[in-house]
Amino acid sequence: MSIYEIRDMAIEIDGKRLVEGVNITVEAGKCTAIIGTSGSGKSLSCLTPFGLTSGVAQGSITLDGIDLIRADAHQMQEARSRLTGFVFQQPLTALTPHLTIGAQLQEAAAQAGSSRLSRHELAQRLDRVGLSRADERLDQFPHRLSGGERQRVMIAAAIAHEPKLLIADEPTSALDASLRGEIMALLDELRLERGLAMLLVSHDLASVEGHADHLIVMDQGRVVESGPTASLITNPQEEYTKRLIAATARLDEPAPQLQAVGDILLETEAVTVTFPRPGWRRGKIKAVTDTSLHVREGEALAIVGGSGSGKSTLGKAIAGIGPLTSGTISWQGQPLPKRRARTVAMRALIQPVFQDPVASLDPQWKVRDIVAEPVKNLQPEILRKDRDAIVLKALEDVELGEEYLDRMPTSLSGGQAQRVAIARAIIASPQLLVLDEATSALDPLVGSSILQLLRKLQQANNLSIIFITHDIASARRLCHRIAVLDEGVVVEMGDMDSVISNPTAVTTQKLIAAS
Amino acid sequence: MKALLKRDHWPLWVVLSVMALALILPAILPWTYDQIDWDAVRAPAFSGSHIFGTDEIGRDRLARLAAGTQVTLMVAIAAALVSLVVGIAWGATAGWVGGKVDEAMMRFVDALYALPFMFIVILLMVIFGRSILLVFVGIGLVEWLTMARVVRGQVMALKQRPFILAAEAAGSPPLTIILKHILPNIAGVALAYLMLTVPQVVMVESFLSFLGLGVQEPLTSLGILVKEGADDMDMTPLGLLLPGGLLVLLLVCLTIEGERLRDTYS
Repeated sequence: MSIYEIRDMAIEIDGKRLVEGVNITVEAGKCTAIIGTSGSGKSLSCLTPFGLTSGVAQGSITLDGIDLIRADAHQMQEARSRLTGFVFQQPLTALTPHLTIGAQLQEAAAQAGSSRLSRHELAQRLDRVGLSRADERLDQFPHRLSGGERQRVMIAAAIAHEPKLLIADEPTSALDASLRGEIMALLDELRLERGLAMLLVSHDLASVEGHADHLIVMDQGRVVESGPTASLITNPQEEYTKRLIAATARLDEPAPQLQAVGDILLETEAVTVTFPRPGWRRGKIKAVTDTSLHVREGEALAIVGGSGSGKSTLGKAIAGIGPLTSGTISWQGQPLPKRRARTVAMRALIQPVFQDPVASLDPQWKVRDIVAEPVKNLQPEILRKDRDAIVLKALEDVELGEEYLDRMPTSLSGGQAQRVAIARAIIASPQLLVLDEATSALDPLVGSSILQLLRKLQQANNLSIIFITHDIASARRLCHRIAVLDEGVVVEMGDMDSVISNPTAVTTQKLIAAS
Repeated sequence: MKALLKRDHWPLWVVLSVMALALILPAILPWTYDQIDWDAVRAPAFSGSHIFGTDEIGRDRLARLAAGTQVTLMVAIAAALVSLVVGIAWGATAGWVGGKVDEAMMRFVDALYALPFMFIVILLMVIFGRSILLVFVGIGLVEWLTMARVVRGQVMALKQRPFILAAEAAGSPPLTIILKHILPNIAGVALAYLMLTVPQVVMVESFLSFLGLGVQEPLTSLGILVKEGADDMDMTPLGLLLPGGLLVLLLVCLTIEGERLRDTYS
C-alpha cells in the first residue's frame, strides 16, 4: 500500500522550471531512495510538496489520502506535523541550542498534537534510538552531544509523534564515516518495526543501496531511471546510471590490478604531534601518537580513519607543512628535517593535494601562475616564457587544455580546480603524493574521474601515494596497503584485501560496515 | 578599482572633490591664508574679493578654509598610511609567527590600547613643545592598533588555508608567501579599515587642534577654524558653520565609504 505518491510533479521557483516529470512512490515499511549529485533537484523534490522550500509544485501529490497540491492550511499542517517526520543533514543546526534534549522532544510531540509525555516516556523514546543513559540525556543541551548522538535525537524527535512517512535528507552525510552504518541500521530497524514509509535522499549510492527497496536516480531536475534497487544496480538501462554505478566504489568489486612496488622511499618512526590547548589553559592535545609506517616506491598507502583521528595531521607532518613534535621522517634512509628547515629539493619530493579544491588555489592568482609556483622555486633560472611550456605540459597531464592558463580559480568547477591542484603537485616531479581526502568533496562522478587520473599518473611516473580518506571502498581502488587510524594511533595496518576481509580492530569494522 | 568607479560611490566623489578644491583654490584666490586685509576686518560674505568674508583679523575665510582642509586631509592620509604600514607589518608578523611571539606582540598592543591617549599626547606636547610632527606621532601611535588586530586575525585564518600550505609545499619561502599570497588576500579588508581610519584621524586631529594642541598659527586646520569660529559664533556664525559643516561632510562621506567597503570584504 503506498502511503506517499507523487505523479508527474514539476517544481518552479520564480517561474524557472527546476524539476520536471518526477514520480515517486513510497510504501509502508519500505524505503525509497533518491540519488543524485548536487543540483539534481533531489532535495527540492522532497521538501517542496510540504511547503518547505520557496518552490511551487504542480502535478499530483497524495500523502495518506490527502491531496497536498490542493490542501488548505489546516490539512497541510496536519500532513506536515502529524503524518510526516523529517531528519536533516546537519544535526547541530537542526536542534535549538537553548533547549534541553527533553524539551526538544516534548515540543516535537506537542506540535503533532499529542498530549504531554511523561519523563519516563521521553526517556523510552531516547532509549529506542539507541542513546545510552537516556534519563540523563533529557537534561542535557545539544552541544553536549556528539554528532551521531544528535542525529539520534533528531530521529527520536522525528518519530516521536508516530508519523507514517519519514523523510531523511542526507541523514548521514555530515556524520563521521564510522557512525554512518549505525544510523542507517537504526533507520532500517525503526522502519520495519513501525511500518514507516521512508523517503531517503542521498548523493552517495553506496550508502543507501543496502537499505533502500526502490531507487530513483535524478539528474538535472529529471528522473533518469527508477526501479527496485537490486535490479537497477545489476541491470541499469540508462548511461547516466551506469556511470554512477561504475563510479561508486564497492568493497565486493574485484580487486584492481595495482603496479609492482619497489624499495622503501619514506619511513616514519614514532611520529608524534601534539598541540597546545588553546588559551591559557595548560596541557596538550595529542593528535598523532607514535606512528610508524613506510611507503615503497610506486606503492599507494591508504590512511583511513574518522574525523579527528589525526590522519590529516599525520599527512601534513609527512609533507612538511604541519608541525612534528617528535619522531623522525626519513626519505630513502636519510632523515628529513622539520617543517621550516626543509630545502626546496626536499619539498619537491613530497607534494600534497587537499580536500577542498577551490580553497587550495589562491583566489587572486591565475591558473598559469598557480601551476608555475613550484617551478619558480625549484628552477628559478627558467625564464617566464619557457615556464609556460612546462605549465602547459602539466595541465595536459591532468587533461586540461591551454584555455585554462588565464582562468581564475573562482571560475573553475570543483573537478577542474582539483585537476589544477594536481597539476601544481606533479609539476615538481614529486615521488610521493599526499592526497588528503582529495576526492571526497567532489560529486561521485567527478571524484571517480579524479581517482582514475591519479591512477594514470601513478602508473606513468611510478609515483608513490599516501591516500588519506574515510572511505575504504574508494581507497581500495588505488591502494596496496591500508593503515587505520583512531585517536591518533594506528590500530591496524596491512595489505588492503587482508584487512578488509579480516578486520581485527573495532574502528576498522565500523568503517567497513559504513562503506 | 573598477568597482569603485562603476557603482554610485558618491561619498568618495564628494571627498575627492573637496580635496581637489582645497588644492586648486589657494592658487586662484587673490588672498593667501595668512594674508591680512587691513581694509576688510570682519568683512561679511560677498564683500569685494572675499567670497565668505574675513575673520576677526581680516584673513580671507575661503583661503583659510582651503588651507585648513589641506592640512587636515594631509595629516589624515599620512597618519592612516603610517597606521596601515605599521599595522600590517605588526599584525602580519604576529599572525604568521604565532605562539609566544604572537602573545607578546598582541599583549603589547593591548597595553597601548589601555593608555589614555589624550593624556599621552598632552604630555608629549608639554615635553617637546607643539609641532605638526608630534601630531603625526601621537595619532600614528594609536591608529595602527586596530589595523594590527584586524590583520593578525586575517593572517591567522589564512595561514591554515590549503593554498598557503600548498605554497609552502611548493618551496616558497615565508616572505614570498606573506607578500604574494597573504597580503593580496587581505588587501580588501585592510583597505576597508584604512577608509575607516581616515575619518577617525580627521576627528582626532581636529580635536587636538580645537584644544590648541595641533598645528601652529598661522598654519591652520579644520579643527582650529572650528575653534576660532566657536569663539566668535555669536557675531559671525559663518565662521563656525563653514569649517564645521565641511568637517561633518567629510566625516560622514568617509565613514559611509569605509563601512561600505568593510561590508564588501568581511
